[in-house]
Amino acid sequence: MQFAPVLRSEWRKIRTLPSLLGTLLALFAATTAFSAIAGASTTQDPDFDPLFTTQSGVLPGQIAAISFGAMAVSQEFHNGALRLSLTAVPRRLGWYAAKATAIAVPVFLVASATALASLIAARAGLGSAADGLSVGEQVRAVAGCSVYLTLTALLAAGLATLLRSGVATLSLIIPFILVVSFVIGDAAGTAVEFMPDRAGQLVLQRTHEGILGPWSGLGVTALWTAAALLAGAWSLRRRDA
Amino acid sequence: MTSIDVQDLTKEYGTRRAVDHVTFRVRPGRVTGFLGPNGAGKSTTMRLILGLDRPTSGSATLGGRAYATLREPLRHVGALLDAQAAHGSRTGRDHLRVLAASNRVPDRRVGEVLEETGLAAVARRRVRTYSLGMRQRLGIAAALLGDPEVIMLDEPANGLDPEGIVWVRTLLRRLADEGRTVLVSSHLMNETAAFADHLVVLGRGRLLADTPMRQFIDARVRPAVRVRTSAPTALGAALARAGHDVAEHPDGHWMVPDARVDDIGRLASAAGVPILELTADQGTLEQAYLDLTAAETEFTAPLQEA
Repeated sequence: MQFAPVLRSEWRKIRTLPSLLGTLLALFAATTAFSAIAGASTTQDPDFDPLFTTQSGVLPGQIAAISFGAMAVSQEFHNGALRLSLTAVPRRLGWYAAKATAIAVPVFLVASATALASLIAARAGLGSAADGLSVGEQVRAVAGCSVYLTLTALLAAGLATLLRSGVATLSLIIPFILVVSFVIGDAAGTAVEFMPDRAGQLVLQRTHEGILGPWSGLGVTALWTAAALLAGAWSLRRRDA
Repeated sequence: MTSIDVQDLTKEYGTRRAVDHVTFRVRPGRVTGFLGPNGAGKSTTMRLILGLDRPTSGSATLGGRAYATLREPLRHVGALLDAQAAHGSRTGRDHLRVLAASNRVPDRRVGEVLEETGLAAVARRRVRTYSLGMRQRLGIAAALLGDPEVIMLDEPANGLDPEGIVWVRTLLRRLADEGRTVLVSSHLMNETAAFADHLVVLGRGRLLADTPMRQFIDARVRPAVRVRTSAPTALGAALARAGHDVAEHPDGHWMVPDARVDDIGRLASAAGVPILELTADQGTLEQAYLDLTAAETEFTAPLQEA
């Protein structure tokens, strides 16, 4: 079977579900709004990082990206929808690749627009505090943010395929991000640096003190995502639909 | 010309054997009714044919090929497994357009099948607003989308109103007359009797019968004659003299087993008995089916204990 028709079909599936389009809108709105607020709140914190401030909306915004990835997959696990999909496209891995592409491309495009809008909105509030940022750093943050959000959406998609449930996926990832990484984060030492969210967010920071740099951090997140996608592929291939 | 070939197909879920060494062939040009009680393995067999579940052993092929090897399978095989499979937030039209895109079926076909299944007026409404009958029609529309030569429908009459049931019956007949291979599962006997030419019967995962419907009934239900008279004593005497057993029913009619209408008519006429009603009782699919499953229950009971 050819890939393009299957991809077109998967994209139509996403386009025709209002809730999924709403999630992409939420990704844009939440990220930009929180970055703008962060930029406008003046701080005397010695750890203040103007670069991360411009993209700080990613912390709430990533939940929208995760929801998008999980829900785009979980629509297949209601009432035998997957059976219908695999009846139309019996090559399961080809179908899965099309599904992942149909998730990744819109998230990347929306995330790119989001990251740019966040930068502009936050800089409006930061004023002279952002003057020290180089063009290179800002490009890195915008590109890195787009890639990071895409990777988190795909991570959720892979996990949702493995768990065959959007609810199970969200109740695994969201507490993980909010509790494991955010609350006990600094206490847990260097291991936390390798968590998918912490590692990937290094690309948004101006200075790096740990083992990982901006791109190697994003690479670690990419490995997590690859592992989740492979686990999903393994489950999809092996199990009865 | 594509037939469905099921060869020694077996599917186990843990220790439970859902399909047990089943072999049959579904031929083109006729409607094959796929019968069996709930849990007999009908839906599992259909999923195995569609490559959705992996068989424990054996094979199922369509025109000699496994389903998973078909390029653009919707153009060869149309299936309705579950009318609930369409996402509630999508419109009926979008649901079909998604499927059409994956197999490069032109979007024009979406309009055609919506028209054919009587859904054109509701095509732009979300599926969650559809009644069960409308969802069933949408599932059938999806099965017809690629103009396939093989059609498999799992319980298509579920939730349809009487008009819808007549429509399905006419549709199945037309599809078979066009030379397509049509396999339709049901647990409703009267419904199946109305459309099927051939029967494949499963019970507890095993093949119980694979015969033309008429033959299935005739082999299992003894023909009888139903007769009503205003002179019961005279009729009883006449029938007894001719060596017929009779059973009188409370509502006043008599049943004469193993008899033909012609014989009873002549006999009554010769005896001068007035006849109010005289009909051949051909036996129904339901009677034949219950007779078969009763025999099967007896047969399998000792095996269950072992």
